[in-house]
Amino acid sequence: MGIVGNTVRSARFRRSRWVLTAILCVYLVYTLIPIFYVVTASTKTNADLFGTFGLWFSDDFHLRENLVDLFTIQDGIFLRWLGNTFFYALTSAIGAAFFALLAGYAFAKYDFAGKRLLFALVLGAVMIPQTALVIPLYLLFSKVGLLNTPLAVILPSLVFPPGVFLMRVYVEEAVSDEIIDAGRVDGAGELHILSGLTFRLLMPGLATVFILAFVAAWNNYFLPLVVMSTSDQFPVTVGLAIWYASATTGSGGNLLFTVVMAGSLVSILPVILAFLIMQRFWQGGLSAGSVKA
Amino acid sequence: MTRFLAGHRPRVIIGKKIAPYVLLLPFVLVFVAFLIVPMIYAFNLSLHKTALVGGTRFVGFDNYARAFVDPNFWSGVWLLVRFGFIQMPIMLSLALAFALILDSGLVYARGLFRIAFFLPYAVPAVIATLMWGYIYGPAYGPLAQIAAFLSLPKPDFFSENAILGSIANITIWEYTGYNMIIYFAALQAIPADLEEASKMDGASAFTYAVRVKLPMIVPMIIVTIMFSIIGTLQLFSEPYLITNLARSVINSHFTPNYYAYTLAFTAQQYNYSAAISFVLGAVVAVFSYAFMLASNRGTR
Amino acid sequence: MAVITLSGVTKSFGSVSIIKGVDLSIGDGEFVIFVGPSGSGKSTLLRLIAGLEETSGGHILIDGTDVTDRGPAERALSMVFQSYALYPTKTVRQNMSFGLEVARLPRAEIDRRVDAAAAILKLEPYMARKPRALSGGQRQRVAIGRAIVREPVAFLFDEPLSNLDAALRVDMRVEIAKLHRRLAATMVYVTHDQVEAMTLADKIVVLDGGVIQQVGSPMELYERPANLFVAQFIGSPKMNVLPASADGRAIIVPGGKVRLAAPPPAMIAHLGARPENIVVTPPGQGDIDGRVDVVERLGSDTFAYVAVPDAGVLTVRIVGNDVGIAIDQPVGLAFDTQRLHLFDTRGQAVPAAAA
Repeated sequence: MGIVGNTVRSARFRRSRWVLTAILCVYLVYTLIPIFYVVTASTKTNADLFGTFGLWFSDDFHLRENLVDLFTIQDGIFLRWLGNTFFYALTSAIGAAFFALLAGYAFAKYDFAGKRLLFALVLGAVMIPQTALVIPLYLLFSKVGLLNTPLAVILPSLVFPPGVFLMRVYVEEAVSDEIIDAGRVDGAGELHILSGLTFRLLMPGLATVFILAFVAAWNNYFLPLVVMSTSDQFPVTVGLAIWYASATTGSGGNLLFTVVMAGSLVSILPVILAFLIMQRFWQGGLSAGSVKA
Repeated sequence: MTRFLAGHRPRVIIGKKIAPYVLLLPFVLVFVAFLIVPMIYAFNLSLHKTALVGGTRFVGFDNYARAFVDPNFWSGVWLLVRFGFIQMPIMLSLALAFALILDSGLVYARGLFRIAFFLPYAVPAVIATLMWGYIYGPAYGPLAQIAAFLSLPKPDFFSENAILGSIANITIWEYTGYNMIIYFAALQAIPADLEEASKMDGASAFTYAVRVKLPMIVPMIIVTIMFSIIGTLQLFSEPYLITNLARSVINSHFTPNYYAYTLAFTAQQYNYSAAISFVLGAVVAVFSYAFMLASNRGTR
Repeated sequence: MAVITLSGVTKSFGSVSIIKGVDLSIGDGEFVIFVGPSGSGKSTLLRLIAGLEETSGGHILIDGTDVTDRGPAERALSMVFQSYALYPTKTVRQNMSFGLEVARLPRAEIDRRVDAAAAILKLEPYMARKPRALSGGQRQRVAIGRAIVREPVAFLFDEPLSNLDAALRVDMRVEIAKLHRRLAATMVYVTHDQVEAMTLADKIVVLDGGVIQQVGSPMELYERPANLFVAQFIGSPKMNVLPASADGRAIIVPGGKVRLAAPPPAMIAHLGARPENIVVTPPGQGDIDGRVDVVERLGSDTFAYVAVPDAGVLTVRIVGNDVGIAIDQPVGLAFDTQRLHLFDTRGQAVPAAAA
């Protein structure tokens, strides 16, 4: 570290390096324990779950049986939940990200009447308690017959104010006013400038907003809990929570904790995978924003 | 020189003036339909009362008057205030410390830590609660097992005294990495020549991190505190899901959102529930505004 | 014949008035440069001509047609931007042909024009590259190429060289000058660099506070600035200005008198002298006395900064580097009375030959 004698090769540097790495490792263990617990629990029989140490595997490796149970119990409803979640999250996230891109672009690159007010409204939306929205949505949807349909979950999820905020910031950074002006001088209309000249610059931002909206929709619990009433429409969060409750109270009869654990494991894997894959994409893309000398 | 435009007048259909409105249209449509309209509808609900006899009638601010003196509501708010004072400092200081450590480049395997710490954010709150619920389990949970192995008294994570800490732990686990990523991105945006300047000034990596970098991301820290305040006051999923494990301590008005939910969907009191939600919204706004004022004064 | 005519053009953003009424005509083939300090409105004026900003008042005529209400693409102009504004996702060829494609020109015609421009600018080896794979100078040439293919009535340049390093800037300046001669095109150019302005322009427009201060050839502005602002803005190092008053056949300045052959106009309030029009003398033998503060030797020239009581520091330019003056040395300063600039209390130039 420069002139204070703390260079990369110095003993002091190496010592602080090990100490700091050790601190992070402690938290790493804490972060991974619940996930590891789910992994070991989904490989056990229900008897072993109670009879053996929770944070290690038991001799009887029961993962395959648990997975078979998971996908066959109640006529394979779990697969249906996974499919529902995937469908709700994907459609919501595509719509939300696309709307956020257009709105964020408008906020970033144009002046128009009511801009400040509208933006303040969008930002203020994060303060609205979930119940304040979900309860009236439930009542309104019941009036128009949308309750217990996919639209009841998807439509409200299209409103993703943080995405608008993020896209605005991203557009301001990634697209210079001069590029838009150059497009105007070249005779392109405003929408043509967006679709033909600047859209590809915005892909990393769009990917970021997409994945945030996707995770938000995948993890959504309160809204589907309220607007969905039959098991075949549940997303995985609502379904697992019900299984969990019946396993806890013992009312589910044949529902075993190990199956709930296996279900948890299966339902978090896609999001984690999506994150890992997409992370590369948007981290690489962020620096490639705009060509500037 | 030939004149470029002879016969080639470009057709610009949507110009600079209307373009922003066209671009905003889709978002504003869903924003109005699924946010503004429900809000107005809920507000209208909150001004009415439904009785078994006589149906629905306008009662003005009666529901609000009731909410303002409803001990069930305020006990929930008070609980969350206590909760916030435990949870937020721990979560945000951990996030900040990790972000500073990772940004300093002083550790091995930075990428691994960054992604691993962020992972819990991808885990739905429902599943996080469920996982921790098992770990807390008094009969078969690994923590109880360790205690039994060491012949210690069995820890009770669902007791009156422990429940707040148990829930706080779940939310810390869920959101520390998310806040860390926000701080990390802000730190990465600090120009490298500042670090060189501080080295020339003889500052150690620690001094540079705390005295130079930390003050530069104060605006970001303020934003995360704001979001944490808002998120805390809206706590619902974690206590709701843990109810079965801790029946004796988690009641139907444990948090304000929980209370509004119970009022609406168990007691069918939509009108009063709507009023509770709006009062909660007002409480959120007051807390956020108070914090903004305080932080403005502090940074001036 | 005027290709671009501005009459009474104004522009305000909200209540802030940026351009306060500009009349200007730009002739066919002329190279016109807008200069002024930042905030003077020079870039805004260019953007008004381009159609990127709407005027608040007045009219803009291009080739005799009133284009005030037309969009930027309908004005038959090209523009080269400060950051080049190349489309990052398109290749060099696509960057240059985009505007022609929008105008639905036939493919063959597009290719002909793009190839011709590429030849002029020596861009042929790079046509398939993306902008990020080009150097600063190459990007600059692509930006110019994109402007050329449109075969515009006039080229607009918005500080096009300010993102280049010093050596490249000189090269590109020469290239732009050659291009101007080769295309015989009308060019309107904004810069804050007065070397660019002096070397490139047929006509310089000096702006300050949204008002044209003076229009003229570089030498006119240098020799006969219309007011104090132009006098001090054009020329480097800038003109020395001293408070002055007339007294018979002399001008009284702090610490001395400048004797003239004829009596100066009575209303003068300021005397201006360029650094090369002051001569260093032994103390007491010039018009005023001072003390050398700083000496800068550039090789070909030496600048002496001489502190004069009540008049501040005057800059004197001496040819060569072996000038035999040292810091803190007392010196006299003599003005070249043939080349004095006189200004009244409002800062307007007063002809020295009035008497």
